[in-house]
Formats: sequence, C-alpha cells, structure tokens
Amino acid sequence: MMEDDYLEEKKLGAIYSFKLLKRLLKYVKRYKFLFLLATIITLFTAILDISLPYITKMAIDQCLVPSYAELEFSGKNALFENSIKRRYKEYLHPLKEDFYFIDLSRVRKEDKVDLEAKGYLSKERFLGIDLSKLTDEKKEKVLAIIRKYPSIFTQKSGQLFFISSENIKKIESSDLRLLREKDLSRLKFLCLIFFSILILSFFFNFAQIYLLQYSGQRIMYDMRVQIFSHLLLLPISFFDKNPIGRLVTRATNDVEAVNEMYTTVLVAGLKDVFLLAGILVVMFRMNPELTLLFLLFSPLMAYISFVFRVKARKAFREVRRKLAKLNAFTAESISGMRIIQLFTQEKTNLENFKRINHEKYMASMHQLLVFAIFRPLIEIIGASALALIIWQGGSRVITEALTLGGLTAFLSYAEMFFRPIRDIAEKFNILQSAMASSERIFQLLDQKREDRGKGKKIANLKGKIEFQNVWFSYKDEEWVLKDVSFTVMPGEKVALVGHTGGGKTSIISLLLRFYEFQKGKILLDGVDIRDLDLSFLRSQIGLVLQDTFLFSGDIKSNIRLRNSSISDEKLWEAARHTNAHIFIERLPGKYEAEVRERGAEFSQGQRQLLAFTRALAFDPKILILDEATANIDSETELLIQQSLKRLLLGRTSLIIAHRLSTVRDADKILVVHKGRIVEMGTHQELLRKKGYYHYLYKLQFKPFATSKMNR
Amino acid sequence: MNKSNKKREEFKALFSLIWRYKHRLIIGLLAIFVVDGTQLILPLIIRRAVDILALGKATGLILAKYAFYMVALALVAAALRFVWRYFIIGTSRKIEEYLRNKLFSHVQTLSATFFGRIRTGDLMARATNDIEAVRRATAMGVFISVDSLILLIFSLGAMISISTSLTLYVAVPFPILALLLTIFGRRIHQRFEKVQAAFSDLTESVRESLSGIREIKAFVQERGEIDNFKRVNDGFFRKNMALVKIWGIFDPLLMLLGGLTTALVILFGGRKAILGEVSIGDLVAFTMYLGMLTWPMMAIGWMVNLFQRGAASMGRINKILLTEPEIKDEKDTLEIKVRGKIEYRNLSFTYPGERDAALKNINLVIQPGMRLGIVGRIGSGKSTLIHLLCRVFDPPAGTLFLDGVDIRQIRLSTLRKSIGVVPQESFLFSTSIRENIAFGNPGVSEEEIIEAAKICEIYSEIMEFPAGLDTLVGERGVSLSGGQKQRIALARAIIRNPEILILDDALSSVDAQTEERILKNLRKVMKNRTSIVISHRIVAVENCDLIIVMDEGRIVEQGSHEELLNLNGIYATFYQEQKLLEYEKEHLKI
Repeated sequence: MMEDDYLEEKKLGAIYSFKLLKRLLKYVKRYKFLFLLATIITLFTAILDISLPYITKMAIDQCLVPSYAELEFSGKNALFENSIKRRYKEYLHPLKEDFYFIDLSRVRKEDKVDLEAKGYLSKERFLGIDLSKLTDEKKEKVLAIIRKYPSIFTQKSGQLFFISSENIKKIESSDLRLLREKDLSRLKFLCLIFFSILILSFFFNFAQIYLLQYSGQRIMYDMRVQIFSHLLLLPISFFDKNPIGRLVTRATNDVEAVNEMYTTVLVAGLKDVFLLAGILVVMFRMNPELTLLFLLFSPLMAYISFVFRVKARKAFREVRRKLAKLNAFTAESISGMRIIQLFTQEKTNLENFKRINHEKYMASMHQLLVFAIFRPLIEIIGASALALIIWQGGSRVITEALTLGGLTAFLSYAEMFFRPIRDIAEKFNILQSAMASSERIFQLLDQKREDRGKGKKIANLKGKIEFQNVWFSYKDEEWVLKDVSFTVMPGEKVALVGHTGGGKTSIISLLLRFYEFQKGKILLDGVDIRDLDLSFLRSQIGLVLQDTFLFSGDIKSNIRLRNSSISDEKLWEAARHTNAHIFIERLPGKYEAEVRERGAEFSQGQRQLLAFTRALAFDPKILILDEATANIDSETELLIQQSLKRLLLGRTSLIIAHRLSTVRDADKILVVHKGRIVEMGTHQELLRKKGYYHYLYKLQFKPFATSKMNR
Repeated sequence: MNKSNKKREEFKALFSLIWRYKHRLIIGLLAIFVVDGTQLILPLIIRRAVDILALGKATGLILAKYAFYMVALALVAAALRFVWRYFIIGTSRKIEEYLRNKLFSHVQTLSATFFGRIRTGDLMARATNDIEAVRRATAMGVFISVDSLILLIFSLGAMISISTSLTLYVAVPFPILALLLTIFGRRIHQRFEKVQAAFSDLTESVRESLSGIREIKAFVQERGEIDNFKRVNDGFFRKNMALVKIWGIFDPLLMLLGGLTTALVILFGGRKAILGEVSIGDLVAFTMYLGMLTWPMMAIGWMVNLFQRGAASMGRINKILLTEPEIKDEKDTLEIKVRGKIEYRNLSFTYPGERDAALKNINLVIQPGMRLGIVGRIGSGKSTLIHLLCRVFDPPAGTLFLDGVDIRQIRLSTLRKSIGVVPQESFLFSTSIRENIAFGNPGVSEEEIIEAAKICEIYSEIMEFPAGLDTLVGERGVSLSGGQKQRIALARAIIRNPEILILDDALSSVDAQTEERILKNLRKVMKNRTSIVISHRIVAVENCDLIIVMDEGRIVEQGSHEELLNLNGIYATFYQEQKLLEYEKEHLKI
C-alpha cells in the first residue's frame, strides 16, 4: 500500500533501483529506434561542440602567431644538435654558421621543449616571408614592399625574409595584407569550417531535442493511459484507502518526473559523458600535466555543487511547505471571514497570519543564504581554475610545451568542462525523484485489479436477488454484515431501513460487487454473482446514490454518460418520465446546458432527478437507490416522489429509504441493525409488531416529516 | 482613468514601494557595481597575460602574479555577490512579507458585499501570484536593470576601445538576437501556457473520473472513460509537441547566433591581428566581453516583462487596498452597555446590486430577555433580519436600534461582541475542536469549553474521539457530521456569553430530540438574555415569547404560538400539516 509518509528522498537500494530502471526501460522499447538515433546525434553534437574551440586554437597558432624563431647552436651538445639538424633540415634556414631561423610549427613538441630548455631558442618570434612560392607578378610587389622598409627586413636566408613580432606593427596593414596573404586565406578557410560546424550543430541540436521530446512524450502518453486504465479497473476498496488527489498525482506529476529523467538525464547525461571524455582527450593531447592539474578542481566543483543542490532542495522544500501553510491559512480566513468578523477576531487572526507569514519569510531568507553562499563559492572555484590555467598554462607556453592557441583553448574547455560537472548534482536529483516517482507508479500498477467474474451471462434476466448467509467485513474480523439472508422476487420493491452504519450501504455495494464478501452467497436469478461477467452484472443494475455525482460536460452527457447507444430521443423520453424535463427545459441551453465541475450549480433535488433520468435511460432490470436525506423544497419533493414511482415500475428494486412514502409503498421492508436483518415485513406488519422498526419510525421519520412543513 | 494613466499609476505604486526600501537597495546596487567591475577587469588581466606570452616577454613570476590577481578578484566578487543577493533579494522578501500583511489586514476589514463580489480564487491569486510578481519585479527587476545596464555600457566601451570597427562587425547579429529573443520568448510563453492549460485539463479529467468511480463502475463506463482520457491525453501530447517545435529551435538558435559572433570575431579580429592592428590578447579579451554582452541582451526583454507584470500585479493589489470598507465605525460612535433591546423601525432593505427589496417596512421590538422565533420560507427575509442586526450589511440609518441607539452609531466591535451568532452553514476552522469552540474568546478556560460543549449536547461525542477536544477538525479520517459541526458552532457562540444569541436555522442537521434538549439547555443559559431562533421546525420555536412569520420580506403574522394558531393563517397551516402527520401516525398504529 502507498504510505502517507512515503517521501521523495527515500533512499533506494542499488539493486532495487536497477530493477526499477529495467522496468522503466521497457517503456523505451517501443521507441528504441528513436532513442538510438537521438543518442547517435547526441554523440555528433558533442564532437561538434568540442571541435569549435579547437578551430579557434588552430586559427591562433597557424595564422596569427608568427612561427619562426632564431636558433643558435653552441656546439656543446653535438649529438642533440646534429639530430635536430638532420630531422628539421628543410625547416632550418641558415643565416650564418650555427645560426638559423626555424619554423617552429613544423617542430615536434618534445623537441621544442628540449630546444627551449637548452637555451637554443630566441624568445622573440619572427614572421617568415617565402618568395619562392610566389608568382613573378606577386614577387615583384612583395619585393617592392621589402624595399620600402629597409630597416625592418634585415634578415634573409635565400628566398626567405624574416621580420620580428615587434616590427610587424611598423608595417602598414595594406602591405601586410600582401605579405601575409597565406595566413589570411588560411584564416578564411578555418572560419568557413567553423561556420559549417555551427550550421551542422544547429540542425543536429534541433533534431536531438525534437526526437528526444517526441519519444519522451509518447512514452508518457503510453504510461498515462496504462495508469489510468489500470486505475479504473481497481476495486472500490482501493479508492477507500487512497485519497483521489494522490492517485491523480500518479498519472500526472509522477509521470512528468519520469519524463524528465528520460529527456534530461538519459540522453543529455550521455551527452555530458561524451563531452567530458572528448574534452579530456583533447586536453591531454595538448598538455597532460596541465590537464591533470586542472582535473584537481573537478572533484571539488562536483562536491560543492552537490552540497549546494542538497541544501538548496531542502531549503526550497521548506519554503514550499511554509507557503502552503500560509496559503491554506489565507484561503481558510477568506472563506471564514464572516465568522472572524462576527466574532471580532480580526486582531488575533492577523497576528496568526503575521506569524505564519514571518515563518515563510525566514524560510525564504534561509534559501537565500544557501544561494548567496554557494553560488559565489562555485564561481570562486571556476575563477581559480582559470587562474591556474593562466599561471601554469602560461608557464608551459614559455617552455614551448603548449601553444598560445592551446592556452586559449584550455580556457574555453575549462568553461565547457565545469558546466556538466555543476549539473551532475541536479541530474542526480532528477534521477532520484524519477526513481521515487516510478516506484510509486509501479506500486500502483502492481495493485490487483478487481475480479471480472467468470464470464457467465443470463439471457432474459428476471431480476430475482437472493442473499444467502452473507458475511462481510472491510477488514479482518470486524463483520459489517453478519449472516444476512433475504430474497427479493422479480419486480419487488424492497426498502432497507436502519441506523447509519448498520450495513445498508454494504448490502447494496455487495450486490454490485464493489466489494468481495467473505462467506455466503449472493444469487441473481439463481446464479452466483461471482460467476457472472462483471460488466454484465453491473449493466443489469441501475444505481442512484445519495449524493449524485455530476460530471462536467452538459446535461446530455450526464444522462447517457459515455454510452453513445442512448439516443437523444431515448434520453428525452427518460427525462420527461422522471420530471427532470421540467427543470432542464428552463435551463439556458436546455439539454446542452453546461454542467461545471461537480455540478455545483444544481440543487440537490435537481441532481436527484438527473440521477433518476440517468438510471432510467440505461433501463436496468434492477434498481439500487440510496435516497437523499437533504431537505428539499416540497415542490421538488413532489416531483421526485412521482418520478421515483415511475422509475421503480416493473423493476426489482432495493432502496435505502429515508422518505416515509418510500417505506410505506415498499413491498417489503428490511430492518438492518448492527449488520443483521432484525425485522422483515410490510410497513403495517412491522408497526404492529412494535419492535425495532416501530422505534425507528418514531425516531427517524417523524421529525423528517415535520421538517417538511416549511411551506 | 484612461489606459496609459492607469499604467502610469501602477508603475508609480510599484516604484514607491521599491523606494520605501531605498537604503538597503542602494547597498545592494553598490555591490553589483563592484562585482560587475571585477568581471570587467578579468579579461584585461587575461589580455595582458596572452600578449606578453605572444611577445615572448613572459616569466613564471609575472604569470603567477596575474593568477593571484585573478583569484583575489574572484574573492572580492564572491563576497560582494553575497552582499547584493542578501540586500536585494532579501529586501524583496521583506517587501513580500510587508505587502502580504498589509493586504491581509485590509481584507479583514472588508465587508460581505466585497466578498460577494470577488471570488475566493481571485483573492487568493492576489495574495499569491500577484505578490510574487511584485516581489520578482523588486528583486530581479532591480538587479537586472542595474546589472545589465552596467555590463552593457562597460563591455561595449571596452570592446570599442579594443577595436571600433570590430565592435561594429560583431554587433551585427546582436539586434537580430534581441529581436529573436523577444519574438520567440513571447511565442514560447504562449505555447507554454497552452501546455499548462492542457495539463490542468488532464489532471481534472483524471480527478473527475476517479471521483465518479462508483458511477463509472456501476454504469460500466470504463471503456468510454479510457477513450475520453486518451483524447485529453492526446491533446496534452499535441500541445507539448507544439511547444517543443518552437522551443526546440530556440536553444540551438541561440547557440548558432552565439557561435556566429565568435566566428565573426575570429574572421575579422583574426584578420586584424594578422595585419597587426590588434593583439591576440585583445582578441581573447574581446571574445570575453562579447560573452558578457549576451546576458544584458537577453535580460532586457526579461526585465521589461518583470516590471510590466510587477506593475500590473501592483495595480491589482492596490485595487483591493484602495477598496474602502463599507461597514466601519462612524465618526462619532457611542460606547454603550448592551442590554439587548432590539428595535426595527419601519425598516426596508435591498441588497446591493439587487432590484427587489429583501425586507419591507419591518417594525418589530424585541425586549431584553425575550425569546423570538422566526419562521418562513427560504428567501422570505429571515436571515436578512439577522444580517442587518450583526451589520454584515448596514441597515439604512434610523431604522435599526439597539437599546435605543441606532446600531450604526454603536462601535462595531462592541456590537458584535454582544451578539453570539450561529449561522446557517456552520463554518469551522481546520484547527482542533478546542480551538474552534474557544475561537471567539481565546482566553477561555478548559472548564468553560467543556461546559459549553455539554450545553450543546456534543461533549460525549467529542470524548468518543481518541484525541478528544484536541481532535483536528479538518484532518483526514475524522470528518465531523453536519450535526456535530452545527453543535460545535453553537458552542463557539455561547462561550462568548453574548447578550444576544442568534440561531439562524443552526440546528437543521441535528435530530429532533437532541435539538429539543439543546433548546432546553439554552433556555437556562440564556435566561434574561435576548435570543432569536430561526428554524424550519415548529418545535424549535413554539416555546418562544414571540413568533414572527416572514413572507416575501414582510412580517405577515406575529404573536405567541397560541395567538398565531388562532389567527388561522400561514403558521396555523404549518401546524396543521404537523398535526396531520401526527394523526397519520396514530391512524397507522391501529
């Protein structure tokens, strides 16, 4: 059974949650292709996301930063020097003995680090202009520029001219445009790729979201239909124990919680994993040490985010609780305002309100504190990671272990890396509440449905009802009905009278199989009702309850319910027969008149007439009626009595009677007291007996009759 | 008032509310200013670091220094972030509390006409949603407007100082972005509301089916209900997908536009870097500033929305706050010691907004200590007599007197304290039975509560509950019957020891014998005090000193039981019916 104190945060065992997850995944099965597709697309979007900062890095390293450095061998380490000379023969441009310009973009990282560490490399970087690959026409132009700045182009090796980074600024940009044409076109190319990735990423992202939401919504649809259908087939006893509000939550909010898990945790979580893994791979390739240093921050970030989430959630819940309390108080005060004013309790009430309002304020302030402390804390960690990258990453740029573009890429990746880590706690929360929700849903779905009987049907039902030594209790041995036996012949009108709680309602509920009795037998035309098909059984019986439930819709839909085989004509005829026609005709819209939630706009009497009409339209062989007790004005009262007589005509009927006229007109009266039938007979017979019925009559019907004198 | 005037008034009200807390807000705003400052310095540090690295002039020490600056800056920012949150959001919480108290205490002064006009749900919405909207405007509205303005101006300034032409190139997508954000935002909001509406349809559909489960099962309508549910469920699905279609584009589109600006920076900025016009550090800093610019762009639309909603909500709240209580103490009230003589002098009364008079030319004197019985049809004006006496509605001046004083001149609290009234619908609060009985007289002793409960013939029933007097009225499982509620409401009235006790059909759900016992008990308690009993049942009034019969707003018959019987009018007819039933009973006994 679902417990009241079943809270969201209840910890689920690992094996148990695994079982739940497995059961949840069953719902995915129908849409596995869509999910697979979404997953693949997600993988692509992660790759695209990671590639963007890398392209920026390439642009910086390949196009922006001058790549040549001066290299001067000292001869101290001939072995090393010779190996470098051999390996980078093509990219070494000699200026004089053991003094070269080297294109660093062609040098392996380890060698760069070595060269730098050994002090062979100049700090300054140079731009190299290669004339050998230019057309004659261009060559002329470039040469003209070179001649224009004689003091800058001092160093030359064959067809290659070199300019130091400092000196680049001294050249006019129109001249640089020519000199660095290669860099510019490379930049354009990289931007084109960047742009294409953006476009691709846009479509992939949309496709991913759409696919995910579509399949998620479909799953929720299936789940809801399953829950709802299951609910409708549960026995009435289940509804006695579970408040409707909670059951509604299963089909609505709990399903939403599960949906959130499907859409944000399952696939988006996968994207985070891809993203993190991808970023780590790229970072490691750029610089493993720095990556490791950077990774030190992740557990801290994850931990603090986690603590924050837990605290924030707790604080949020407290705020919600206080707000609910405040709202409940406000609502109650508004509905009870007249009492408050008449009893001059405005001051006390305001004090109470202020107290609750202040509690709410304090809860909000606590929530605020949690946010005000943790949010900045998380930002400090983020900023510290950036500082670390600038310091340690920068130092590695100095030692040539990292390129400048690499450094900026690191900065971007750090940002990208922390986002999913910060979200982990939230995802975990979602997962947890989805698990709790799904557990509640599955518990509901595991509830046993009501027994639908053995499928027997009776052709030409007469309507004879027999109770044979029926014993019934709602729970354990607290018998509500004890050894109840009686027979109702076809067409007979039987009134049940007795104190509230005596067992009258139980008798009629058992006939409808709303509950299962423990001992004895109930027969319909001699057939055990448990052998009958449940739908068949119920469709033979018309039910009119004390407080008629009206569905929102219109008058028509309240008479025929969902049974489209009841034609308008049949429905009109029924309404005329039961006198409901009279008041319906007066309604704006008549039979199409709107019935709002619970039909609050209709009087007790009108509701009862509608219930009669509903029962009559379904034309059952047997009628079960629980008379309304409420005071009804005598005009309507007359109509109801007349209507009732017509309704009962030719049907076997079992009536829980509150009206004197009903009791008097009954063919037989069953006096129910403390679960037993203590007397049985006609009104006159029983009165003459001067037994329990006589006592009841004095007590119950006399005052009722007198109160009808209001007119 | 015309529309723009009304809007201006609303905004004025909102800002004057904000102005009340200016000191705390200014501290918060200063903090924001500094936080934003640190945010703007950060790119400058990174720029320097990148530039000296590019020029090969960097050393480990310099970099360590920069890193230290960054951390120090972050610490300062963090501390001030705490400050602004505390002062700005904290203040909004204060405003919320203040406004709610003010609204509630004002609502308590309003009269029945007001509560008849406004629905509870409406009033609740003011107290919750509208106050929340005002709070958001005061917190996030104030924060965003300052924060985004500072960030916008300074980051734009910083970008221009790096490169004006680059700023121009990159700024191209921004107006598009802002436009898209507004358009999409509105669309998404609309569709989201539809989803919400569909969700409540769904909830309502399940709730209703489960509430009517007995009918559904009895009439074998399960299949039809499931089909109907599928329809509603499908509606929800469709509304959701309609939202996804547009919201699903929104995020990727934002990313695309954000990426596009980066692409433009790389393209144009990179070009400038190649041509030596900007440094690489400039580019990095530029990109960071660009990132900062995104937030104000998004926030401005949001801010406008926040303020608009806040102002509209403020208007709605003010409408209530400015509602004058209709029933209140007149300027010169008289302090009297109530003895209980009630006099209706040619009183006619029409409910506000209604055409027909509810009472016509009522003349009636009730002497102190007298018991008055009122009978009559529903709608004949019985309750109206009482409503006017309690000043639920005000009678016309000079028509209704208590101890010779026009009740409009008696202090309202004095008047109401002297009257104990048990209304038709017994409204109990969801507290304990004890608190409900002691409601009008909170300092009352345990013995008095028990005594009152005994008089009302409810004590033994209360004692049958496991928690006794502490039984919670509203708790699930213990629901009181109508008769029990009525008797508790009666106990609540008599415990105040009122000079005048009024039972407005207050025992209709109590069985006849118990009612008789209660009335007998009351006779002792109310000795020498005025009491008025309205009832449907003759037994309840036949012992009264004076009985009046109301019909269509008039007193049509009055006198003692015997006198009225002799009149042979309506009262006599009622009585005949009763007799008839007695006779019938006798007859059947034979």
